[in-house]
Amino acid sequence: MPKLIRLKDGEAFEAQDLFADVADEDAIPAGPVILSLTRFQAEGDALIGAGQAVGVRIEAGESVEDLAYDLPRLALVALVFPKNTDGRAFSSASLLRQRLHYAGEVRAVGDVLRERALFMMRCGFDSFVPTDGSTPAEWAATAERYRHVYQPAQDGRTPAFAERL
Amino acid sequence: MYRYDSIDKAIVEDRAQEFRGQVSRRLTGEITEDQFKQMRLMNGLYLQLHAYMLRVAIPYGSLNSRQLRRLAHIARTFDKGYGHFTTRQNMQFHWIKLAQAPDILDSLAEVDLHAIQTSGNCIRNVTADPYAGATAEEVDDPRVWSEVLRQWSTLHPEFSFLPRKFKFAVTAAEHDRAAIRVHDIGLILHRNDEGELGFEVAVGGGQGRTPYLAPTIRQHLPAGSLLSYSQAILRVYNRHGRRDNKFKARIKILVAALGAEEFARQVEAEWARIVAEQPDADLPAIELARIRGAFTPMNFETLPPRSAAFDAAKAGDRAFARFVRNNVKVHKQAGYAVVEISLKAIGATPGDISAEQMDAVADLGERYSLDDIRVTHEQNVVLPHVKLDDVPALYAALEAAGLASANIGLISDIIACPGLDYCALANARAIPIAQSIAQHFADQDRAELIGELKIKISGCINACGHHHVGHIGILGVDKKGEEFYQLSLGGSGAEDASLASILGPALPANRVPEAVDQIVERYLALRQGEERFLDTFRRVGMAPFKEAVYAEAH
Amino acid sequence: MKVLTANRLTDGEVVFWRGGHWVERFADAEIFAADDPAGQGAEAVALGQPTVVVEPYLIDIAEGPAGVAPVSYRERIRALGPTNEPEHGKQAEGGAAIEALLAATGAARSTGRVDLIRRK
Repeated sequence: MPKLIRLKDGEAFEAQDLFADVADEDAIPAGPVILSLTRFQAEGDALIGAGQAVGVRIEAGESVEDLAYDLPRLALVALVFPKNTDGRAFSSASLLRQRLHYAGEVRAVGDVLRERALFMMRCGFDSFVPTDGSTPAEWAATAERYRHVYQPAQDGRTPAFAERL
Repeated sequence: MYRYDSIDKAIVEDRAQEFRGQVSRRLTGEITEDQFKQMRLMNGLYLQLHAYMLRVAIPYGSLNSRQLRRLAHIARTFDKGYGHFTTRQNMQFHWIKLAQAPDILDSLAEVDLHAIQTSGNCIRNVTADPYAGATAEEVDDPRVWSEVLRQWSTLHPEFSFLPRKFKFAVTAAEHDRAAIRVHDIGLILHRNDEGELGFEVAVGGGQGRTPYLAPTIRQHLPAGSLLSYSQAILRVYNRHGRRDNKFKARIKILVAALGAEEFARQVEAEWARIVAEQPDADLPAIELARIRGAFTPMNFETLPPRSAAFDAAKAGDRAFARFVRNNVKVHKQAGYAVVEISLKAIGATPGDISAEQMDAVADLGERYSLDDIRVTHEQNVVLPHVKLDDVPALYAALEAAGLASANIGLISDIIACPGLDYCALANARAIPIAQSIAQHFADQDRAELIGELKIKISGCINACGHHHVGHIGILGVDKKGEEFYQLSLGGSGAEDASLASILGPALPANRVPEAVDQIVERYLALRQGEERFLDTFRRVGMAPFKEAVYAEAH
Repeated sequence: MKVLTANRLTDGEVVFWRGGHWVERFADAEIFAADDPAGQGAEAVALGQPTVVVEPYLIDIAEGPAGVAPVSYRERIRALGPTNEPEHGKQAEGGAAIEALLAATGAARSTGRVDLIRRK
């Protein structure tokens, strides 16, 4: 079972992952599931109607805007980093929070490294499935390396220009 | 000079501290080279042919004497006593040890310098007009806006893992000394008919494998909207720029594929949404004013427009007169001048400067130029605010330091990347070609007779030596394992920007100076009146030059 | 003939393989016959030393006018130092071994390097 790190109220901790990440060709198990966007669009309504908790996995090249009307019904949105250098999910997370006002869990999956903790947290991610074996303490430490930040972002940190007032 | 406050200092210190941890984890094997590579590149550290290379950011090419002395100290302590100014106004050290890199970053941080984002697929060091604050042409100081961009782009949460690297350049003058049209975003500060300050925004220029000149996507962006509009451009690029092919990943490819009009439409649509949903996307006026106020005030003296001492030296000393003709430029303030220091002594490595010379320039900048020193993208140094009265003494001091070459803008003022003498990406050497051409044209009278002629040499297709925008561009290629050089003519990185066209088949190294000579002789024979080489080329086209180089080869 | 080269992790110095350890001089490098599997064997060992060297690869060498030298000029520059600064890098030491490298003129692509790029 891959490790899941969650962030809540500034605290990072290891959490149990209740969700089954379902590939498109696999049968959908009982219990909470994460589906691809295509599969969600085909089968999501029925599952949610039956009371199942459903999250959606958004690939780097897909648009979070396609989920706009479904967000209130989703249990989580998982954004895929196909490579740790692929930064599209940073835009997706920012848009989920800022433009689509999504307040639920935004999970980083794929090639997820703790060196990206600051960027991920700043863009609004609040859960992480790291591929480098890192611990919650290491995630928290990485995110706290910088005493100040220049930009306003989704983590609510006070940007430099506001600190200077 | 922008003076760091405690926040700016803390960010640079924290970055150095972070990198120390990353290096230590690499040395112990906790992280792999592939993982570490991303981290070291984001701190400007490359592994080159002979050693590590550290690229230090010189934001918008602006230094004070304390910082330049620190660079000299680093050259002496951690390198072989010299540094290399790049075509992005940065400084590279070529002989760095990984284990010492954290100490270097700490040392840089003490004088508000860093290597943040001097490599990697992020927003790179912002470049600007090296005459900023000194030229009468400008409507506002581009350094203020460059600093706004520097802060905003530092560790940007959303835009630090772009499809490819991303470069801003800013100018506020008509005469383009910042190669605006060959940047990912080129910003030209101006005032519109209503007198309001704003930017002409050009997007999608670049050199490399597929060169493009940036089309203007907006004629007038209110200056205060710079960050929100940049956010819109970067967001469209981050989401839609190609990631499947490294050679097609720059924004220029996206802009060309969509067309400038459609790209602009997408940016405008994104911008409208950002402005509506994000009231803090732009800096408040009070912070803009703070940044402006954090630049050291330029307390110019009221002086007569002419200086008797300067005029007398010019009349009495032919070498000084030559230096004035080529290296001394008009300043906005009466009685002052902009003085360019050439790092292109005949036979020298373009852009290289010894630690002793750095100290000398630092002393001279402190003494004669209000402690303000600039670096140009043509790999020279500028003392922007020198009193005319002081120019003779400055010249004498430069001569003593071996820095008085009077060849700015002339044929021996050659741009060259480090090439295969240092760079792991290069296919051929660039420096020895520059040296041999400069030696061929060492006669200063002849160089002045030829007039403005910009030769730019790259050792590979990545075009760090700006060969696409050279009046004469030279690209080193590897032809079945041998160094060959492809010449191209008619490029310009200035306000009359154009991309050079290939002259003909690549030439072996020993033919290059001769070929340049043949091109020059043909130009001299064809030129009318005051035409520069570029003007003549544009009038007569490629054919006569092609004939000059290739017909005589038989 | 082949030689195994890499850059040392701690300082980036160009190094060559010699019987299980790394030396700084090209002249001290162990020479493998082109078809000798020991070359690949050494490369495999070197790939298992990520805290010692970065990017080990085999280069082609050949007999030049004054002794063996890398076939590609890129590798000769690595074995010597930058051509614009004759006092910098390994060439500063001078002597017959350096002269042999300087005398070599044959030029060809660095095959090991091409392989390395392909491997990525």
